[in-house]
Formats: sequence, C-alpha cells, structure tokens
Amino acid sequence: MSYQLYRNTTLGNTLQESLDELIQYGQITPALAFKVLLQFDKSINNALNQRVKARVTFKAGKLNTYRFCDNVWTLMLNDVEFREVHEFVKVDKVKIVACDGKSGDFN
Amino acid sequence: MDDILSPGFSIPSIGHAPTPLHHSLDADQQIEALPHQVYHPPAPEPTTTAATAQQQQQQQQTDNGTGVPDGSSGSGLFGHEPSIPLAHKQMQSYQPSASYQQQQQQSNNTGGSTPQSLMQPQTPQSMMSHMMPMTERNAPGDSSLSNIHQTMGPSTPMTPATPGSADPGIVPQLQNIVSTVNLCCKLDLKRIALHARNAEYNPKRFAAVIMRIREPRTTALIFSSGKMVCTGAKSEDDSRLAARKYARIIQKLGFPAKFLDFKIQNMVGSCDVKFPIRLEGLVLTHCNFSSYEPELFPGLIYRMVRPRIVLLIFVSGKVVLTGAKVRQEIYDAFDKIFPILKKFKKQS
Repeated sequence: MSYQLYRNTTLGNTLQESLDELIQYGQITPALAFKVLLQFDKSINNALNQRVKARVTFKAGKLNTYRFCDNVWTLMLNDVEFREVHEFVKVDKVKIVACDGKSGDFN
Repeated sequence: MDDILSPGFSIPSIGHAPTPLHHSLDADQQIEALPHQVYHPPAPEPTTTAATAQQQQQQQQTDNGTGVPDGSSGSGLFGHEPSIPLAHKQMQSYQPSASYQQQQQQSNNTGGSTPQSLMQPQTPQSMMSHMMPMTERNAPGDSSLSNIHQTMGPSTPMTPATPGSADPGIVPQLQNIVSTVNLCCKLDLKRIALHARNAEYNPKRFAAVIMRIREPRTTALIFSSGKMVCTGAKSEDDSRLAARKYARIIQKLGFPAKFLDFKIQNMVGSCDVKFPIRLEGLVLTHCNFSSYEPELFPGLIYRMVRPRIVLLIFVSGKVVLTGAKVRQEIYDAFDKIFPILKKFKKQS
C-alpha cells in the first residue's frame, strides 16, 4: 500500500469530494470510491517520483526540532528560504514530514 | 503536546508530580544545589592549595634525591630544577590537580573510600619509577640530559622555549563523559518517540530512543527497561544535569521515572603537548604498555596500568586519554605520560 500522504492536497481533497458526491447520488458504491482512492495514492506517489522535473531548493536557518518514528522524519525548521530559479520565498516556520520513498513505492 | 517539553523545562524534584513551568527557575537552582562530587576550579591563590602543592613538590624533590644517583630519574621535568622562578611555575601548574586531590581527600573523608584514595599517597614521580622499564631507566642519554638541565637550570635565565625546562602547564581538557542512570520504570519507547522532541526511534536498527537536548548539549539513549545512557557532556555537573533533564522529560510524558544509581562510566580528555613525538621510539621502550600499528591506526595506543587509562598518542603531539571514572585519573595519567613523551620528542 502506498502512502496516503497526498490525500490531503488540493487534488486529493477535490477527488474525495467528487467521490462523496457520486456516492450520494448513488452512481458509485463506497467500495469503488475506496478503490479509486487507493489508486490515487499509487498514482500520485508514482507521478511525483517519476514525472516531476521541477526542483526547489531550500535552506533553513535552524533545525528547531526533529523526530524519527515509524520511519517518518518530522522536521520543524525556522527561517527557511525556498529558491527556485528566479523565485525566492522566505518563511518563518516550516514543518517537513518525510517518508522513505522506497518503502512506500509498492506499485 | 509540544509545549509540554519546551526548552524551559526543568527537573524540580524527580519522583514528584510534574510541576508547572513557571517553577522552572527555582527548579534549576535546586538542581545546581544538589550534592555531588565534582571538580571546581581552584580560587586564584588559596593558601591551603599552595601548601598542598608545596608538599607535593617537596615529596618530588625527595624522590629525586634518591632517584638521581642511580640514574633512575623519571624525567627532567618534575625535578632537578630547584631554582626559584621554576619552583613557582611548577607550583602553579600543579595547582589544579593538587587542589582537586585535596578536595577528593575531603570528600573521601566524608563519603567512604573511592579508588582515588588508593592513589593519593603516590606522587607522579614514584609511580613513574614503577612504570619505567629497566633499559629506559638506565639509559645514559636520559641522565645526561637531565644533568644538563640541572646544571643549566639555576644559572641560565628561564625562557619558556627551553626544552625540558618545566611543566608547561598543559591540563587535559575533558571532551566527553558517559554516564548511566536507572529511571526504575518500564518505558513505552514509541510513546516517548512520538511525544518528545528531538527523539529518534528505529527499533529495526537499535532498541532505544535516541534523544538530544541543547543545554547541556548531550545525547541520551533511553531503553525500554528504564535504563538510560547520557553521553556528550563536558563535565560531571553537566552530565548529571543533562541526565536529570532527560529524566524530567520522561516524567512529563507520564512515566513514574526516578533517578537512581547515577554513575559516570567513562571520561575522555585530550590535550596537545605542542611538539612532535617519535612513536617508533616510544613503542620500542614501552612495549609492555604500547601498541603502534601505523597501518591499522595512526596513533600509538598506550595502556597505562596505574591509573588504568588508555592513551592515544599521535605524532602531532595530540594526546587522547580515555577510560577514566574520575577526572583525577586523566590528570594523573597525563602527568605520568608527559615526561615520557618529552623524551621522545622528535628532533627536527
């Protein structure tokens, strides 16, 4: 099973809303909706892994806290600068949740 | 969840219910005031300290009195220099260890005997003579070298650069202290890892939570049995304080943690003698104690017997001392090794 990390993104949320609507109108069964969501997890993990070429670099002033439990890193960063080629964003606080890309890649 | 373990936490009283954060200042003071046996830097010129140093020095001189005629002088460093400026210098350089010894003696009187007390009567000199292999002791170059210093010492004005002139006052700096403590309760490591900050828990790799704090900058290994190892502190005080802070974190997560059997397990010190050393020569003359395999490790490993300390000696003159349970063992070991190193100073 892939990480369900990306269900809480714009794409994932709208997909879930649409599925809920379809269930309400009786056009699909909840079991089918569940299957669709599982496929979404697989596909988005795969797509982000394989098809995204854009790169953003970031640099934090300070690692405030960190945690590693259940193979998930949680990092709280302070004073983070995100940099794309000519775009530049500065953020006071960033929370990074990072999973192992290989162990979640079961497709 | 996160504000539970804000950096301002403290350990007011291990064994009691958690206290609110606004008590933290008091609590810190309470920690500071806890009784423990530690090293305090000596006051600039306490008379008692000076007296002890003088005693020690006298003892050394008497040792040298017997040592010089048969050529068994351990070094040209601690003795042979009765000139006044030098004696003064010696006294100063000995002050830290001398005053510490005194403190140790005091604490021994009150708190039972420690291995330390066994070492007290011996000066570094007398211990040295046990250490020296016979060939070393009777080396003609050694006695002539010390004779030169003996004759030159009082007449020539002292310059700090004179080789073999005096103890340059090198004091090994403590680099790491490892301590253990028993929290006396079973711990749910996953809960700790999930709720505490700066924790790592990867049971596939290692069956303990690895936790760090910034002040004192240390790392703790916390096991489910309730035992904890605290590493990285630079002083006895810091090690204990850090261990108490970890215990407090565990307490705040709802475990009935105590603070039992705190013990310092290892101390590591290091220093730089500031001259290159001929390790090949050292390994030949001290073969019982040393091993030097430059293909395996660039340093010479010197296993001193009394005090039981392992020294890593490098060509550069850097020395690492490890295996001590108390600070004084590091100091004693360095006082013993320094004259030996001087003899193997690389002439270049």
